[in-house]
Amino acid sequence: MAEIDLKNLLNCALCANMCRCECPVTQVFSREAVSPAGKARLAYLLLEGKLDWTEDNYAALSTCVGCKGCETLCPFPELELDRELKKIRVEGASRGFNLQDLDPYRANLKNYSSPYGMKQDIPKVQKGDGEIVFFSGCTSLANNPNSIKATLSLLDKAGVSYQTINEDCCGYPAEIWGEPELARQLADENCKRLVESGASCLVTNCPECWLTFKKKYAEWGVELPVNVKDSTTYLLELIESGKLQPKEVEGINTLTYHDPCIWARVEENIEAPRQLLAQIPGVELDEAEPAGANSRCCGGGQMFQLTFPQEAEAIALRRLQEFPGASALVTTCPFCRESLKIEGNEVLELVELLDMACK
Amino acid sequence: MAENRTVIQEKSLSDDLLHEMTSKLQKIVGEERVSVKEIDRLSTCRDFWPMASIWFMEGRFPSVPDLIVWPENTEEVSAIMALANEKGVPVTPYGEGSGTLGGSIALRGGIVLDMKKMNRVKKLDGENQMVTVEPGLNGSLYEEYLNRQGYTGGHFPQSIRCSSVGGWLACRAAGQFSTRYGKIEDMLVSLEAVLADGTVIKGRDVPRTSTGPRLDHFLLGSEGTLGIITEATLTIWPYPEKRAMSSFAFDTMDVALEAIRKIMRTGARPAVVRLYDYVETSYHFPEAEEAEDRCMLIFLIEGNEKIVDAENDICTSLAREHGGVDCGEEPVKHWLERRFNVSLASKMFRQGAVLDTIEVTSNWHNAFEIYKNMQAAMIGIEGVALASGHYSHVYPEGACLYITTMGTPPDEDKEAFYRRLWNVAMEACLSQGGAISHHHGVGLHRGQWMESEHGEGLNALRSIKKALDPKGIINPGKLGMEEAEKWPK
Repeated sequence: MAEIDLKNLLNCALCANMCRCECPVTQVFSREAVSPAGKARLAYLLLEGKLDWTEDNYAALSTCVGCKGCETLCPFPELELDRELKKIRVEGASRGFNLQDLDPYRANLKNYSSPYGMKQDIPKVQKGDGEIVFFSGCTSLANNPNSIKATLSLLDKAGVSYQTINEDCCGYPAEIWGEPELARQLADENCKRLVESGASCLVTNCPECWLTFKKKYAEWGVELPVNVKDSTTYLLELIESGKLQPKEVEGINTLTYHDPCIWARVEENIEAPRQLLAQIPGVELDEAEPAGANSRCCGGGQMFQLTFPQEAEAIALRRLQEFPGASALVTTCPFCRESLKIEGNEVLELVELLDMACK
Repeated sequence: MAENRTVIQEKSLSDDLLHEMTSKLQKIVGEERVSVKEIDRLSTCRDFWPMASIWFMEGRFPSVPDLIVWPENTEEVSAIMALANEKGVPVTPYGEGSGTLGGSIALRGGIVLDMKKMNRVKKLDGENQMVTVEPGLNGSLYEEYLNRQGYTGGHFPQSIRCSSVGGWLACRAAGQFSTRYGKIEDMLVSLEAVLADGTVIKGRDVPRTSTGPRLDHFLLGSEGTLGIITEATLTIWPYPEKRAMSSFAFDTMDVALEAIRKIMRTGARPAVVRLYDYVETSYHFPEAEEAEDRCMLIFLIEGNEKIVDAENDICTSLAREHGGVDCGEEPVKHWLERRFNVSLASKMFRQGAVLDTIEVTSNWHNAFEIYKNMQAAMIGIEGVALASGHYSHVYPEGACLYITTMGTPPDEDKEAFYRRLWNVAMEACLSQGGAISHHHGVGLHRGQWMESEHGEGLNALRSIKKALDPKGIINPGKLGMEEAEKWPK
């Protein structure tokens, strides 16, 4: 694990909290202790030994959705506060601190390689040489198997040579919960299966899985044997090459696309979903305010709904107020879908909409 | 307990009273909105006062509240105040902690009343060009809400992203566009507030009255010492349809000041008028070649298209007539991009230096003299590396001078160094007839100069405080309301 960036952490601690308006956690908790600079101050004092580690301190350091909203306003370009907080949580975990609400999920992760417990059966598929591995991700498997079905249906329609594997969790939850060793074990296991698959490319619907495979594995010293693509970019390529031909979807005239934080600010993948949506005839995009790179978190970042469910819902409600009320709400993240479908809202993953358009 | 840690003031309430207060407050607001946790007490024991940064670097928490309460409505605030008043427990209101003078430090412990959960927009009244909001609403989110509805609040303090509407009102804040829209006191229509004994007062939402002094307006700038603001109705404006920008470089500050004075006499009200001295011009506008070794003056004008065109014509003509060299729109755009960047303070404190900003008000006849006097006095302090300035807000009667100063104490005693700096700055300002603050307020630190500022008037102010808050429970020790209040040690 990289060393803690104490210089920039201290820059943040000494700042007036100029980013607090873009921190959804700060806005819903209303506690100084969980504001960005509040957490940086706490972290600095703990690291300098000027404050004792306590359950309360550890919990406060865990209140980050990783949305990077703070970074949109941060005058210290080298600082990634969410990353620094993760490192500090590892330090806290090494001292025996953790969030007790996470215990069952952590146990599941260790016992079943999924935070949600015994995994649902992943449809075992092998089409052609299986050049592409479609990676479902634990959250889609647990909460929205229909998105997996829709993706496989689209791959079938496009005549893609693909396969599924007996996947383990990508390691994302283990990392954010301060368990780097477990994250690496899961990564090693996935890599072993990917090598066995003989595939050259992994496609996933889940931004968290994508981020973990694409960026984290290398940081953890794990060599991934395949390229990684997000399904939106991949499906757009299939449309542009004529392998998928979307048609009008009955009942959906206008839609709002919610940019997941990882696509908005980590990978800046904000054009591909809009280009894909533009390929569906009869659909007009009615943007949220804010949208694109300035999109705001749904409350599901860093699996916040498991650790702080009440506040995660409050963040989701704030985000819902920023939507204009189009006939459909679409996103490209299983966590966002789960967070935003409160209060009877129907939320589609983009693959589900595209599958409807390609019927 | 970590060895290096020093909490000077652990508790101000006895265990029995703390227990009783906690229990009763929980009955008022519920268990979840009362905290006696160390983490919450430590995180609300400071604001953006440089001394708080110095103490933080030293691992010191000199003045810590006993408990934090998060009210959600006026009724709860009223019940909390009635209880605190009955028990004589201090209450310090807390917004977003962006104050620069220690105004939200709970000097005598007790309750910190964190207003952030009172952050709703209660009513948008487009016809009457007003909005009613709760005080805990973040400034940036306030403006964002208004923009979505086709309006602007016209209030853009540098702290807009980390300050609240209640904080603006409590310290008579000014935004960067104040020449057009006014300071916050010019935007205030009415207030609702809770007094020390729990009484709720509310002003009328009408533009002007002639029914005696407006008690609600009297709370403007009271920094939480006279009552707790629980609601405010403010003037708003249709989102500006046009914006014009221009900038001019002048050989000397005094000539540029004269140009600004003439512009204000015409009745033109550009939203932004900022004039920088040589040092700040070179720091903020290094790419403006024409401004090298000169003083930069920038204008931003917005509003109705016809008015903007006329005001732009007035500003540019008079600037040119006074020898201003046209630098175009770019410096203004550059300023717009950088105007909320306060990273320098963090960098300086991290490296062991001391940095602060001091804003004062002058009339035109002494505007330049005050600048020269304050700068010379501050530069004269051993260890001071910089005392630069700009005029940031202008009026028909004068301007706000904003000094930035930094340095490294020669003897490692940052507190003494900081005091020396302020002492000479305030003395230089007062001796030239300036007012000691334009918009940062008084808080804890500036209280020591309130007598010089107000003369006998301060006693009258203290009498009013005593009448409204006889037990002295609301934000004690601030605004010079008490004799020779000392910093926490």
